[in-house]
Amino acid sequence: MNTIAADRRAERTYSTTQRADRLEARAGALLSDCRRAFHAFGELDELAENLRILSLNAELAAGRAGDKGRAVRALTQYTRELVNRLAQIQGEMNGLRTQTYALSSNILLGLLRLHLFERAADLVNDGSHPPSAMRNVNRAFAETMTAMVDTLDSMAVAVEDLARRAHGVEEVVSQSDSIATNIAIEAAAAGVHEKEFRTVSDTMRRYVDDLRKMIDEASECVRRAFEKAESLRRIGLDSLLGISHHQLTR
Amino acid sequence: MKCETLFRSGDHRWLVFGQDPDRPANVIDTNQYVICNGANAMMLDPGGLEVFPPMMASLTHEVALEEIRAIFLSHQDPDIGSSLPLWRRICPPDVKIYLSTLWSGFLSHFDRGAQFTTIPDEGMEVLLGSDLRLRFIPAHYLHSSGNFNVYDPAARILFSGDLGAALIPESARTGTMFVTDFNAHIPFMDGFHRRWMGSTRARDAWLAAVSKLDIDILAPQHGLLFQGDDVKRFLDWLAGLDIGSGVAAMQR
Ligand SMILES: [Fe+2]
Ligand SMILES: [Fe+2]
Repeated sequence: MNTIAADRRAERTYSTTQRADRLEARAGALLSDCRRAFHAFGELDELAENLRILSLNAELAAGRAGDKGRAVRALTQYTRELVNRLAQIQGEMNGLRTQTYALSSNILLGLLRLHLFERAADLVNDGSHPPSAMRNVNRAFAETMTAMVDTLDSMAVAVEDLARRAHGVEEVVSQSDSIATNIAIEAAAAGVHEKEFRTVSDTMRRYVDDLRKMIDEASECVRRAFEKAESLRRIGLDSLLGISHHQLTR
Repeated sequence: MKCETLFRSGDHRWLVFGQDPDRPANVIDTNQYVICNGANAMMLDPGGLEVFPPMMASLTHEVALEEIRAIFLSHQDPDIGSSLPLWRRICPPDVKIYLSTLWSGFLSHFDRGAQFTTIPDEGMEVLLGSDLRLRFIPAHYLHSSGNFNVYDPAARILFSGDLGAALIPESARTGTMFVTDFNAHIPFMDGFHRRWMGSTRARDAWLAAVSKLDIDILAPQHGLLFQGDDVKRFLDWLAGLDIGSGVAAMQR
């Protein structure tokens, strides 16, 4: 008799625990991917500022070159617009970061509560408690999990937003790249100003490379974060489906 | 978690829950109390987050969650009520939460959705069910600046919160919930009262108010309960204690 009771308990424990554990492991990974993405984007400020200073210097050089610098001047003005775009993306990213961290803390708090409800469910599910106790704790777990799934939905939207910003930076990178190429072409025809323009185009290409490295790293983190947010949502939904109507109303 | 009935008269009951054998060693032990009057129950200091699972399991052996009408929080500490957001999820949605007017904005840090019924500094009287009168008695500055005890004149029990609390090492536990040898118990509460309790004036005012009450059991939130003559022994001991010991550290 005792053995049967112990086995049944073990079975029940297996079915009720580990939902929060599974969520927790993935949530931890999701949050660290988001943190890494924001960390990578953190260099955006400095790179944009470097690009801005470079465009100002290039414009001065273009002025000194007179007619021969006209095309370069137009290119540097275009560079300045790109820099403004980067600043705008950076601003949006700051808002997104605040939002993502607020969602993360909700996820962590939700996990803590899920763990505690899960432990309570295991203790109550020993055959000696009235069914209403299990029903109550299951309902509380389900409500908390529903809120968690909602938060994960918002998190997925935030990560998607982040991916859009990353794409915006990628566009700036490829446009800056073609500006650098065009300046190099102009340099070849600039006579005594060739060296000065070539320095501008080389420096610009270096910044573009840095930006590309940054955005590759950030995009990879965003991609991984997105996958994890999606899989977390699925685990949350599965676990809600696992708490049957029967368990909530019995 | 252990549960003992402290008082029973018809369907008027006092229950104490505590001394959970599975409690992690670094989590300070707490006593949780439940007063029942028929199908109406009030929890006193439901405890911290860590205590929630065993407390919920132990409580539901005795009381249906639907019967919990009120939760009383003596003060703002995490061991008192950081479990509040969890209890609110499993108790009836209109459960009343009593708390000092000083702390409602602070406790919202634990649970921003909670609606508190605030207790004024003078305390108040509430009705549990149709006929059980309970008194929230001020115990400010002992140790919290907005702090209340609960007195049940019919059961002659005073829930004294951190007053009377003792920190008892595992090795000194005997399995009982009551003090059995007052002198032997002093070392476990001495340091706590000297350091946590700060105001001599508040202590004297509390002693003056409480000594007018008819008390069979003095029930603290930590450690063992006092009954019979030990209640007076505790009050006399506290009256002579040099409290506010933390001040010395500022005078170096
Ligand atoms: Fe306290
Ligand atoms: Fe306490």
